[in-house]
Amino acid sequence: MTVPTVGIQAPNLPPKPRPSLFAIGGTLAAIAMTIVTARSVGFSFGGIVTNLGRKNSVIEGLLSPDWGQIWSRRSRAPFIETFQLAVLGTATGSLLSLPLALWSTRFGNPNPFTRGILRGFNNVIRSIPDLLWALLFVSAVGIGALPGLLALFFFSLAVTTKLTSDTLDGIDMGPIEAANATGANLSQMLRTAVVPQILPAYSSFVLYNFEINLRASAVLGLVGAGGIGNRIEFFRGRGEWEELWGLVFMFFLVVFVVERISVTLRRRLI
Amino acid sequence: MSVSFIPGPAPDLPPKPVDRFKWFFSLGVIGLVVWSALSIDLKWSRLLEAPGDLWTQLRLMFSQMELSEVPDLVAAMWESISIAWMGTLIAVLFAVPLSFLAAENLVGRPVAWVTRQILNILRAVPDVILALAFIPLFGLTPMAGVMAIGVGSIGTLGKLFYEIIEGVQRGPIEAADAVGATRAQRLRWGVIPQVTPELASFSLYRFEVNIRASAVMGLVGAGGIGSDLAQSLRFKDYGSAGLGLIIVVLGTIMVDTVSGAVRHRIVAGSSRQEEDEEDESLGLPPGLAGDVLPL
Repeated sequence: MTVPTVGIQAPNLPPKPRPSLFAIGGTLAAIAMTIVTARSVGFSFGGIVTNLGRKNSVIEGLLSPDWGQIWSRRSRAPFIETFQLAVLGTATGSLLSLPLALWSTRFGNPNPFTRGILRGFNNVIRSIPDLLWALLFVSAVGIGALPGLLALFFFSLAVTTKLTSDTLDGIDMGPIEAANATGANLSQMLRTAVVPQILPAYSSFVLYNFEINLRASAVLGLVGAGGIGNRIEFFRGRGEWEELWGLVFMFFLVVFVVERISVTLRRRLI
Repeated sequence: MSVSFIPGPAPDLPPKPVDRFKWFFSLGVIGLVVWSALSIDLKWSRLLEAPGDLWTQLRLMFSQMELSEVPDLVAAMWESISIAWMGTLIAVLFAVPLSFLAAENLVGRPVAWVTRQILNILRAVPDVILALAFIPLFGLTPMAGVMAIGVGSIGTLGKLFYEIIEGVQRGPIEAADAVGATRAQRLRWGVIPQVTPELASFSLYRFEVNIRASAVMGLVGAGGIGSDLAQSLRFKDYGSAGLGLIIVVLGTIMVDTVSGAVRHRIVAGSSRQEEDEEDESLGLPPGLAGDVLPL
């Protein structure tokens, strides 16, 4: 007896869902944006290839950097200044960011009017980039380390306030109720019910902020605000790319070491 | 008989735990700050004059604005936005393949390690330094900014992307393997559908970050509104600088708002369940937000 073979029919598949209007619209918008912006910046693949392929001192310098810069005595002082700027900028900015973040929350500042003003202030300072702060302060108080410090202060304030605010949004409200129930006033409540909850995250943000500030303080000097950037700008002005890249590599080394230390500390803190 | 309340001795509280690490840490930080404050080459008395100088500067900036300059500055801001968009696009084009090569669940450990080191090196170079390097190659044009942003974002985007890829569910990949998919098919049907929304969301986020970066690059000559700002401040045309600053802030906030809304929609998907909750987070998948903050 033979087994009757049964023709296998394709199962009734459900219809493939059509892509959502949002996906189609989003893709079209992205394509349109690309076309418009490409025209605006004068984009061309050919241009990129020719420009990169041309013989130039920048890439030659990158391939044979002047490693002597790493031990150069004249680079040491600007490096220390960069480090000091990052320390002081982080310390002052993040110190003020804690009350600023607390006063921008509903439980820390019951007054909707002042809360709105503070939040607006946070948004505005957050939209100004580090180098722009530096340029503004160089123009206001002259060149040197002072505009760099002021720039990093505002920059750190913006960053740590934002990060701390996000943490504050997610804290446990129980301790706050408990503190209020025992009749604590606002500052007592914040001190005993809120700050202990966010302190580990906050200290970690401060360290993180220090890492970004160290990177940022390297470029501040490009607009005259002190630190290693001054020296980078000096080499750039003279077209000495070997020295410039040597300096940049040394900077990487410093940043790398500091980051390792900072990451270890951050892990230990949380 | 009356009950009288006798105050007893305070209960035996356990001793407060002492965390040595915290003490050392705090002392170290304070020491570092004091050393920096004392040894930095800075006249602290100048700090007292700074608020006055700043006030003068702000008054000059915001009292001499000429509204006739608005169209030019808006056009310059648009150029900055264009630089950010094209730069991000270039970075995404390179970051996607690199991130597949850096994900340990898709390729072998050695390949992933090498790719990650490439991403780490790219991540370490500040954008502005890249802009300095590209200006001699491309001239003082927006393309120098595009290249700087493009190259500068590959590292960060690649790192975020491979973290997302490593977090995908194994199920679809196994299913693809079970029906005999080739490597490419497995990628196409097992991985890409899972990661596309998050990759898109992060790319948009990076675009927002890059708007700030491109505004800044102009300060060293790489096109966009930064060039105008630097010029105005250099030639003490404060009114124009003030107006430019306002336009940078407004433009940045505007793009952030639009792009943020789109990102929330992408991450939330078409399901409308979570819309009731007021969500002030960054619209990023949990756990990664800390790594990507730009500022």
